[in-house]
Amino acid sequence: MIAAASSLKGRRKLSFPLRLAFRHIFANKTRNGLTILAITIAVFLLCFLLAVVRGIDAGVRSASSTRLVTQSAVSLFVSLPMSYRPKIDAQDGVAIASEFQWFGGYYQDPSNFFPQFAVNKDRFVDMYVNDFEIIEGPNGITGPGAREAVKKAFATEKRAAIIGIGLRDEEKYDFKIGDTVPIIPAIYQRADGGAWEFVVVGVFRPLKARIPDRIMYFRSDYLNDSIEVGEAFGEVSAGVYYVNIDNSNQSEVIATEIDQEFLNGPQRTQTVTEAAFASFFVSAIGNLPLFLGTVGGAVLFSIFFSVVNAMLIAGRQRLNEAGILQSLGFPPITSTFLLIFEGLAVALIGGAFGLALAIGTQDLVVLNFGDSIRNYEIDPGLMGLAIGTSAVLGITAGLCAGIPFLRYRPTEALRSIG
Amino acid sequence: MSRDTYIQLESVTKKYTRGGEDLVVLDQLDLTIPEGDYAALMGPSGSGKTTILNLVGGLDVPNSGRVTVAETEVSGIAQRQLPAWRARHVGFVFQSFNLLPVLTAHENVMLPLQLTPLSAAERKKQADFALEIVGLSDRAGHRPSQLSGGQEQRVAIARAIATDPDVIIADEPTGDLDRNSADEILELLDRLNDELGKTILMVTHDPAAAANARRILKLDKGNLVSDEANDRSRKQSQGEA
Repeated sequence: MIAAASSLKGRRKLSFPLRLAFRHIFANKTRNGLTILAITIAVFLLCFLLAVVRGIDAGVRSASSTRLVTQSAVSLFVSLPMSYRPKIDAQDGVAIASEFQWFGGYYQDPSNFFPQFAVNKDRFVDMYVNDFEIIEGPNGITGPGAREAVKKAFATEKRAAIIGIGLRDEEKYDFKIGDTVPIIPAIYQRADGGAWEFVVVGVFRPLKARIPDRIMYFRSDYLNDSIEVGEAFGEVSAGVYYVNIDNSNQSEVIATEIDQEFLNGPQRTQTVTEAAFASFFVSAIGNLPLFLGTVGGAVLFSIFFSVVNAMLIAGRQRLNEAGILQSLGFPPITSTFLLIFEGLAVALIGGAFGLALAIGTQDLVVLNFGDSIRNYEIDPGLMGLAIGTSAVLGITAGLCAGIPFLRYRPTEALRSIG
Repeated sequence: MSRDTYIQLESVTKKYTRGGEDLVVLDQLDLTIPEGDYAALMGPSGSGKTTILNLVGGLDVPNSGRVTVAETEVSGIAQRQLPAWRARHVGFVFQSFNLLPVLTAHENVMLPLQLTPLSAAERKKQADFALEIVGLSDRAGHRPSQLSGGQEQRVAIARAIATDPDVIIADEPTGDLDRNSADEILELLDRLNDELGKTILMVTHDPAAAANARRILKLDKGNLVSDEANDRSRKQSQGEA
């Protein structure tokens, strides 16, 4: 009747059991669809939160090892006197120092906020030689000569401003060399009630993750002189000092010496490395990385139980099928394998959707929250983590549901209601 | 082992534990079925009919005694190797059909063939042939939910014979069917036994189904109480009349 098994092909095919697993996925559209949706959201949140945390970490990690920050020992929000800079410069091991004063204005509308800092006109460009690349200067100059041209223009034009490339390229700003940019003050109100005007003399591209590409630096003497002559209101001060040092090994000694210098001054100081300052600044709003990591972990953990529950339901419904397969001669582990594969497939589909959502919204996040969420990027490492996490989630859920099959005899499994 | 002892149960005892108490389902049972026989097992519920099928089919193991099929001591096969033995030697037909609802009729029949070393083309050919035997070639692409009960059971029979097993074990194969469908299934089992020489062991409560078998074995409380040859020609002539 039926030909005996002859032409040996050797190995058993996996395609049929896999097809069976896929049929089950599509046979339970609602349950598996909801599970996939849950995993999609979880993986998206995981990618989003980890990208934020990584961005924060990247900012801290990119801090220069040869730079210190001197701030008030009382608070970051207490400014230091302008008279401190020559004394800092005079310390052994200090290469160059510049005041950094937070300005806090906005362009046209508060939603168009980007950071602005008042910096020393003669020192700033040289201080940041390794931190950003000047890509455009006055009269359209580009290339190696741009830095010197910008340095010269910054020292010459009192209202000069150097901007990050984002302020040039983004449509809503579109600042070009030579443009006069009005910035509406939030702290330093002008006597005439109007906006401050700055003239763009240079555009830079950040080389370090901690420097955003939507930022503006302008001359501190423009700010302070305006206050002194009564054109603006506020306090003539330096904010904090950024201090380049010659040798990173000397950072602790130099920091101590600077703080000793001002121990009896009008403001005591606290000098730390730029990395410590960046960490402190982040921790000023709480331990954000830990918080975000905890939220992401909690979401993933709860979704894990949800997926396990869905797979356990699938497993219970599949017990009769396990009995059928065993009666046909499939080993018990076949049903376990099918559930693992089903869990893996569902989790990977959800994970892929979640990852695609994270990648698809990346530009949107950067565009809308780029100032708050710095260095946001779904990089290949994060993609691998998302897919790997999804795979582990699916395999574990499949194992939880499939392992019990191994202890059922075919007769017990066949008696269950499928 | 001769043709007269193709399936043999020797002093087989099977107990189950229910509520902490041992329940003896088969008690030192001896049973011999020759090759090519068609035996119907009858008896009240709990008499041990299905347990015999499970033991012969290697789905369960006895507490004591030997179960031998085609010179292989099934009760001595390691648990791990039993599935492979079942795949080669036994085809099951269940009361509730037990087809996989997510697969088509053809795919259901293909399922046991996955365990054979046949090529994909050969597997397909055998599945096609098995469906042809049960008269359902035109329903190959239908899922179980698109078939009648009788058609589902015919697909189950096609699946049982697809790998050309020595023994077909049928547990109440007509239990869930109306009379007409049941008759079709019984006729099919007759053909498998008469034309293809399959050894069939069938559990049934239905005297009309048992009338198709060559032998009728009656069980009660785990003991064989009757073993009678059945005059199938009388049944056939009744059918023709």
